[in-house]
Amino acid sequence: MRVQSIVGVECRPPGAYGRLPQNVKPRTIKKLLVANRGEIALRIIRSARMLGIKTVAVYSEADAGAAHVAAADEAHLIGPPDPASSYLNIDAIIGAASATAADAIHPGYGFLSERPEFASATEAHGMIFVGPPAAVMAALGDKVAARRIAMDAGVPVVPGLDTADAGDLATARGFADRTGFPVLVKAAAGGGGRGMRVVNEAAGLAAALEAAAREAQAAFGDGRIFLEKYLARPRHIEIQLLGDHHGNVVALGERECSIQRRHQKLIEESPAPGLSASMRDRMIEAALKLARAAGYRNAGTAEFLVDGDNFYFLEINARLQVEHPVTELRFGCDLVAEQLCIAAGERVAQLAAPRGAAIECRINAEDAAHDFRPAIGRVIKLNLPAGPGVRIDTHLGVGAEVSPYYDSLIAKLICYGADREQSRARMVEALGEFSLLGINNTAAFLRDVVASPAFARADLSTRFLDENFPHWTAAGGDLTAALIAAAMVAAGNLDSGRVGAGAAAANAARNEGGAGKRTPWTELAGFELWGRR
Amino acid sequence: MKVKQVGDPREIEVEIMVRDGATVRARIDGIDVVAQLEPLADGAAILQIADRRVRISGARTRNSILVAAGPASFEFVPVEGRAGTSRHGLAAPEVTAPMPGKILKLLVTEGDNVEHGQALAVLEAMKMETTLYAESAAVVKKIRVGVGDMVDHGAVIIEFSPAPADLSKRESPAPDA
Repeated sequence: MRVQSIVGVECRPPGAYGRLPQNVKPRTIKKLLVANRGEIALRIIRSARMLGIKTVAVYSEADAGAAHVAAADEAHLIGPPDPASSYLNIDAIIGAASATAADAIHPGYGFLSERPEFASATEAHGMIFVGPPAAVMAALGDKVAARRIAMDAGVPVVPGLDTADAGDLATARGFADRTGFPVLVKAAAGGGGRGMRVVNEAAGLAAALEAAAREAQAAFGDGRIFLEKYLARPRHIEIQLLGDHHGNVVALGERECSIQRRHQKLIEESPAPGLSASMRDRMIEAALKLARAAGYRNAGTAEFLVDGDNFYFLEINARLQVEHPVTELRFGCDLVAEQLCIAAGERVAQLAAPRGAAIECRINAEDAAHDFRPAIGRVIKLNLPAGPGVRIDTHLGVGAEVSPYYDSLIAKLICYGADREQSRARMVEALGEFSLLGINNTAAFLRDVVASPAFARADLSTRFLDENFPHWTAAGGDLTAALIAAAMVAAGNLDSGRVGAGAAAANAARNEGGAGKRTPWTELAGFELWGRR
Repeated sequence: MKVKQVGDPREIEVEIMVRDGATVRARIDGIDVVAQLEPLADGAAILQIADRRVRISGARTRNSILVAAGPASFEFVPVEGRAGTSRHGLAAPEVTAPMPGKILKLLVTEGDNVEHGQALAVLEAMKMETTLYAESAAVVKKIRVGVGDMVDHGAVIIEFSPAPADLSKRESPAPDA
């Protein structure tokens, strides 16, 4: 079978590995350091273990009790909770890799994953960096340079101010006046929506430039910004890529990531609903052209904005994406294992055609009813969903703590089905089963989004949440049940923290006074349900 | 008891009226609700209201009650009768940190007159910037933090005294503060 639409450069048949090109020495990975935390660190450890690779976790002082520390064969403390001193500290991580005799480093996503200096430092110490070469990453990580690569390759880009000195107000103003407002201010480095601002009128431009530059400086240590025309109702669709040392680059279909809040993806799916085969082929062709032009290697993602029949290159994320599981479920593959094999010099696997449909929801520690403000706390009780086609990637367990130091992703729920409707129905059920006591989270919000008629119709754009869920509140039934539960807790008739020993201890610590002490609750309760009266 | 959700001004009155075996009768803002309760071995319970079954769990912290009802999570705080939210025309006598984070900017100084909705400070938490706004006209009495300080959830950032000309007028809080 020829899989023209998913495989860009013809792969050799399985088993025909042949000789490596002269400049590629096959290397074996025996011990992998995972330079990340949370669910992705666990995810990487699992694939490494499956391949017989030993693993080293690194952790900050805030994460001493974290799941990835327990899961790895070894763990190394790298510094204080502040990310700049730990998970972003290149010297500390390279030091940990040397100290534990690791021969490869997987950066995960976020943190150092797109920092070329980290890739070069890893290679300079004789270790394999599981990702693209530093030079490729440097070129693609700079959005301005990446736009240039795209334009040179004949791939359409969103009209923008093609210099990194958009920080200059007069230049920026000139561009905005020519293109027309609104315009989008973006950080040249980094991703994930940080440092991004929509400016609707000339009056707001100066403040937006300043704030974006400050956020970019704080988040990425690089305050350069650039400007783009803002598309009003685009879809965000991306192509998964894998490239090896032998010049093979393949595309593993697309992911629709239009459900976003302030440029942060919340729900992703594959295939993109209603995307025509010809449009998909054009986008895959463009992604492969880009990857080849950039000399791309390992896993990466080409992101596009789709506006009607047009698509525009946005950026290449030179790393594993948060939403990679939707591709894994459709292709029946393990992208982390692919990354590790490619890093060791193997050829990209020949993959079967994709099947079915997959949806991922990112459950964040945020209060969806109150402007998504970040939440912290300790898990007192956790009920995770299960069932056919249900996968959950999480580092949470009873007693786990969500601290203010790191990002708010606490679980990814991924559902697979024969078609979109089946995976959507499974997602609604699975989110309904998810129940977490101790940390405010977005699961109920996501359930309402996935269950909504607009999502079922796949009426998708990056404006979806603004248009359909501008002010979400919990369903009345849930609030009623919660109020009854709260009254029972106040009366001493419900205490779910007492069962799990670890959580109970944690809870007691938060509940300083302990039993017998008068608290607002003992005064408010006033009525005992089961008590001796 | 009267409660509100953290970050939400709406006050809700809830009382358990009767519990008879598995049947719980509650009154929420004057409306009677009948529910069936099935405790579970793991400390949670199933609460059935009409034909809808919801898994509930709850626990107390020092000053709030945490509840999970199905996938929905809530944090309730008591509304104390004696502490009114409006004093001398101030919607709030102080500005507190809505979440733990770092003070990035202070936009006012002590003695300043501030207007309803005026930006006061910028807080950075989880790599996002959050601006704190005045909920009413007031005078900045004291600033309790400095730029770069890490503050905890609920920490007092700015104390107010009433705006001189406006002692009687109560303004509604900024909708998105």
